[in-house]
Amino acid sequence: MPEDLSNMVTVSDAALVERARAGDRGAFNVLVRRHQVVVYRVCYRILGNGDDAADATQEALLRAYRRLDSFRGQSAFKTWLMRLTVNVSLNERERRKETVPFDESRAAAMPDPASDLARAEAATQLHQALQHLPPNHRAAVVLRDLEGFSYVETATALGVPEGTAKGWAHRGRVRLKELLT
Amino acid sequence: MSATDEVLDLLPAYVADELDAAERERVERALAGSPRLHEELGGYRRLFVLLAALADEEVVLTASAERRMLRQLAIGWYLSGTVRFVEGLAGAYGRALIYYLGGGRAARTQQGGR
Repeated sequence: MPEDLSNMVTVSDAALVERARAGDRGAFNVLVRRHQVVVYRVCYRILGNGDDAADATQEALLRAYRRLDSFRGQSAFKTWLMRLTVNVSLNERERRKETVPFDESRAAAMPDPASDLARAEAATQLHQALQHLPPNHRAAVVLRDLEGFSYVETATALGVPEGTAKGWAHRGRVRLKELLT
Repeated sequence: MSATDEVLDLLPAYVADELDAAERERVERALAGSPRLHEELGGYRRLFVLLAALADEEVVLTASAERRMLRQLAIGWYLSGTVRFVEGLAGAYGRALIYYLGGGRAARTQQGGR
């Protein structure tokens, strides 16, 4: 018998996964509530807009539900979920193959990000510049520099060796600096 | 690759505080005599300020988008469960029935996910 969701707030992800596998849909709902914000945020940073990010979030969470049996617990549930999220977002990005020209003249005039307003505008420029990185480099920068994942977690979420994840994040940072200065 | 280029390559990780002590020392020694490296360092420092600003920016689903997403998820879960149940009962015929009734995507994904 599924428990009241309010009783599951302190239950670990691993325990919720076990319950969800056993057919407790309420447990998976708690996992969704717990992680949907970060899933959406990563989709948004990779895809660049809210509508596509909402669709990708839905697809990633649904895929997670269908593939719960393949979660072996070798990494944290969040890292496993990020791998699905990045795959869904990159596939969607590849399918659309749209690019918005980056306005380098605006970037060149970008003020030093000292004031809140300047920081907000500069952050918007950075969000746009992110869309101009190769997809793997973008995903590595999003996970490492925006989500604060360790390189081990980033590598696991991207499904590559740690050295590759480091190289992708490095090249993404170098390109972002070129675009923004 | 020249010594300066090698240090240039280390600058993003230096600003991100990802270098070990020996690498940090090497970067700091090179920075002491190189206006070019200083300029590059300034660019990376600014980039990491912006990355921090972007990381702090609130990115949330609108309430309507969240409702739509949860509704679609519920439908997807229901179809997943139905596909499993009917497949168990009637195999390929059941899957075809689900497909016919509108659960085609769920049925395909179920197959693809295996």
